[in-house]
Amino acid sequence: MISRTLKHVVLALIVFIWVVPFVALVTTSLRSDVASKTSGFWTAFTPTELGHRFGTHDKGDDTAFLVMKGNIFERLNKDKDSYKVDGSIKSIMFKGRVPDPENEGKTKLIRKLVPVNEAMDVRGGEFIFQSNGDFVWTFETESAPKPKNLDVFIDQDPVFGLDAYAEVLFANKNVPNALISSFIVTIPATIIPITIAAFAAYAFAWMSFPGRDWLFVIVVSLMVVPTQLAFLPVLQGFSGVASWATSLNAMLTDCESTQTCQVASKSFASLWVTHTAFGLPLAIYLLRNYIVGLPRELLESARIDGANHLQIFTRLIVPLSVPALASFSIFQFLWVWNDLIVALYIGPSDASDLVFPIRLQKQLGTFKDQLHLLNASAVISIIVPVIVFLSMQKYFIRGLLAGSVKGG
Amino acid sequence: MSIKSKLLSAGLIAATGAFGTSAFADVCDTPSKLGDLGNFEGEVITIMGSMEGQDEQMLTNTVSCFEKATGAVVKYSGSRDFAALIVADLRSNNAPNIAIFPQPGLAGDMAKEGHLTPLGDDLAAWMTDNYGAGSSWAALGTYADADGKEDFYGFAYKMDLKSLVWFSPDQFEDNGYEVPSTMEGLIELSDQMVADGNTPWCIGVESGNATGWTATDWMEDLMLRTTSPENYDKWVSNELAFNSPEVINAMNVYGQFSRNDDYVAGGASSVATTFFGDAPKGLFSSPASCMMHRQASFIPAFFPKKGEEVANGEADFFYFPPYAAADLGNPVLGAGTLWTMTKDSPATRAFFQYMTEASAHEAWMSQGTFLTAHKGADLSAYATPALRKQGEILSNATTFRFDASDLMPGAIGAGAFWSEMTAFANGQDAETTAGNIQAAWDAIK
Repeated sequence: MISRTLKHVVLALIVFIWVVPFVALVTTSLRSDVASKTSGFWTAFTPTELGHRFGTHDKGDDTAFLVMKGNIFERLNKDKDSYKVDGSIKSIMFKGRVPDPENEGKTKLIRKLVPVNEAMDVRGGEFIFQSNGDFVWTFETESAPKPKNLDVFIDQDPVFGLDAYAEVLFANKNVPNALISSFIVTIPATIIPITIAAFAAYAFAWMSFPGRDWLFVIVVSLMVVPTQLAFLPVLQGFSGVASWATSLNAMLTDCESTQTCQVASKSFASLWVTHTAFGLPLAIYLLRNYIVGLPRELLESARIDGANHLQIFTRLIVPLSVPALASFSIFQFLWVWNDLIVALYIGPSDASDLVFPIRLQKQLGTFKDQLHLLNASAVISIIVPVIVFLSMQKYFIRGLLAGSVKGG
Repeated sequence: MSIKSKLLSAGLIAATGAFGTSAFADVCDTPSKLGDLGNFEGEVITIMGSMEGQDEQMLTNTVSCFEKATGAVVKYSGSRDFAALIVADLRSNNAPNIAIFPQPGLAGDMAKEGHLTPLGDDLAAWMTDNYGAGSSWAALGTYADADGKEDFYGFAYKMDLKSLVWFSPDQFEDNGYEVPSTMEGLIELSDQMVADGNTPWCIGVESGNATGWTATDWMEDLMLRTTSPENYDKWVSNELAFNSPEVINAMNVYGQFSRNDDYVAGGASSVATTFFGDAPKGLFSSPASCMMHRQASFIPAFFPKKGEEVANGEADFFYFPPYAAADLGNPVLGAGTLWTMTKDSPATRAFFQYMTEASAHEAWMSQGTFLTAHKGADLSAYATPALRKQGEILSNATTFRFDASDLMPGAIGAGAFWSEMTAFANGQDAETTAGNIQAAWDAIK
C-alpha cells in the first residue's frame, strides 16, 4: 500500500517536472515582450506590482490651462492595441531638483514616494491622483507647462495576448513556406530510410551470406560517426555530383538559352540523402533486433510452403513488424523535423525554401533581440510532432514492449 | 546631379512623408543618380552574409535597385552562423558570388586559402579617394594570399559607430544634468550622479559564447583616448605587447567605470552576467536603474520599444568624449562589413561597381541602421536626424580606427581578449588580465 502511494507521488513529481517547462513556454508566449523579460512566468497569473513611466500630456501640446484632468491608464495605454495596463495605482515616485538648504546656490535631487490622494508639486502646479488612475493638475494662474514624465507603481492585473503568434504567422510570408519545406524534407527523409532499413534488417536477420556478422558490426559501429564531422566531405561530394549533373543538363537540354543549367548542390534532395545515410545505421540495428525475434517456425513453414524471400518479407515480416517500423518512424520524423544543423549546412538557402527550425532561428533577428517571438514559434513547431506522436502512440508503446518478449 | 532631379527627389520624399506611407516605399529614388552598370538580364548573383531580420530586409530593398538597373537577380541568404557556413561552403566548392564578412580576420584567412578573388587596384584607389579616412578602409580590405602577395579583397560597405553614449533626455532633464563634452566632464557627471543617489552606468558583457566583447569595445575606445593611434595600431599587431603600460593603463581606466559598485547598476559583480542587450533597458525602466550606456549605433534595436525611443525623443546619444588634457583629437571607433568576391562573374563585378555609386549608399541610408564613410553620399538621405548625427560624428573624426578585437587573430580577438575581459569583470586585476592575453598571443605566434 505504501509502495503504491510512493509510486504515485514519484509519478506525479515526474509529470510535474516534465510539464513545468511547457507551461512556462506557453505562458511566456502569451505575455507581452516587456513583461516576459522583466518578471518570471509564475507571476503572470496574479496581480504584480510593476513600475511604469507615463507623460502627463503629449510633447508639443502647449495649450494653456488652469486645471488638467486625465487618467494615468489612458496615458499609458494610448499607443497600445493589446497588453493594456490595468489594475490599481499604489504610488508615484517623484523626482526633481530643489534648492539645497545646506549648500548656498546649489541644488539637490529629491526623490519621494507619493501615495494616492496626496498633493505634490509638479512644475509649479498641484498634482493629485487616485488609485483608479484619475489625476488632477491645478495651477493658480493659467499656464502651459512642459509634459512631465513620472514613474508610477501599479498593482497590475494579469494580461495575456496573442500578438506574438500573429507576428510569427502573419508578419512574414516565409513562415507558412517554411512549414511546407519542413514537410517536403521530413516525409521522404522518414520513408526512404525506413524502407531501406526494413530490407536490410531482414537480410541481416534471416538470410545467410558470407561476412554477414562483420557487415552488421560495421553498420552498427557507423552509429557513432557524428554528423558534424562529415559535413565537409559530404558537401564536397554533393558539389561534385551537382557539377556533373549541371554538365549533363547542358548536354541534354537547351537550358543554356534560359540560363537554368545550374543544378544546386544544396537542395531538398541532398537533405533526403544525408538524413537517410545518417538514419540508416540505427534503423537497421533496431529493426534487425526486432525481426530476428520473430518466431522461426513461422518463417520455416512459409518456406516449406514455397515462399521466396520477397514473399516472406512482404507477407510476413512487414505486417508483423508494424510496431517496430512505426516506432522508428517516430524517432526519425522527430529528429528530422527538429534538425537545424544539417539543414543549415546542406539544405537549400533560398529564403522561400528554408525549413522551420532555420526560420525560427532567423526570427530572433541579427542581435537575438526578438526573444518573445521564439516562445510562440516554439509552441507552433511543437504542434506537428505532438500530432505525429499521438496518432502513432499505440504502435510506439507496442514497439517498445514487443522487443522484450523475444522468441514467442 | 541636375537641379531638376534634386527637386524631383525632394518632392518625392515630401510626398511619401505627407501620405505617411512606409519609408521603404521607393528606396531607389536617391538624391544621387545611378550611373550605367550594364545589362545582365537574368543572371543570378548569390550573396551570403550574417545579416538577418530587419537588416536582411533593408539589404534586399537596397539590392533591388541594382536588380532594377541591370536585370540581374540577386539572391541573399543570411544566417547568424555565417562564419561557420561560409568556411564549409568555400572549402567544398559551393561558394556564393559574394560573401559579406562581419570581421576582417576571417576574410583574411579565406584570402590566404585562396578562396577570394582580388577586386583590383582601381577599386582600392577609388576607396582611398572617396571614403572618409579612405586609406585605413582600403588597408582593412587588403590581405595576403597564399604566396604572401597583398591584394585588395574586401569592400567596406555599411558601417557601425561604436563611440556613443546613450541616455534618456527625460532623465537628464528631471535630474538637471548636462551632456559633457570632455572625458573629465563625463567622470565629473558620473560622480555627480552618484552623489544624487542615481547610478550612472549600465554595463553588461554577457553574450553567450561571445561574452566579453562589450568590454573589449570599452577597452578599444579608451585606448584611443589614452594613447596615440599609432600605439593602437601597434597594439593590434602586437608590436605593442598586451601587458605594456599603455594597455594596462587603459584597462585600469575601464576598471574605474566598470568595477566601481557606485557607478554600475546592480554593482560591479553584475557586469559579467548581464546580457549586453538587456543592459540599456535600465535607461528606460521605471524607475530608471541607470543614466548612461556606452554602446554602438545598433543598440536601439534592444531598447524596449525597438528603437522608436530615438525617433520620439525618449533616447538620445552623445559622442564618448576624449580627455581635454590628452590632446588626441576626436578619435572614433567603429566597424564595418566587408563585401568580398568569392566567385567571379561579370554581373558580380558590376555589383561592386554599384557599391561605389553614392546612390547605393543613399538607398540604404534612407532606410536606417546604415552609416557610410562615402564622401559623395548626400547626408540628407539619412532616415533620421539621429543617424545623420552619427554620420557626422563619423565624418568629423580626426582618427578612425576599426574594432581592434576584430582585427586581432581569432584566438585573441574572439577568444582570450573576450574571456580575460570577463575575468577582469569578475575581479581579476589588470596586470594578470593583460599578462594572460599576451601569453595566449605568444602561444599562437
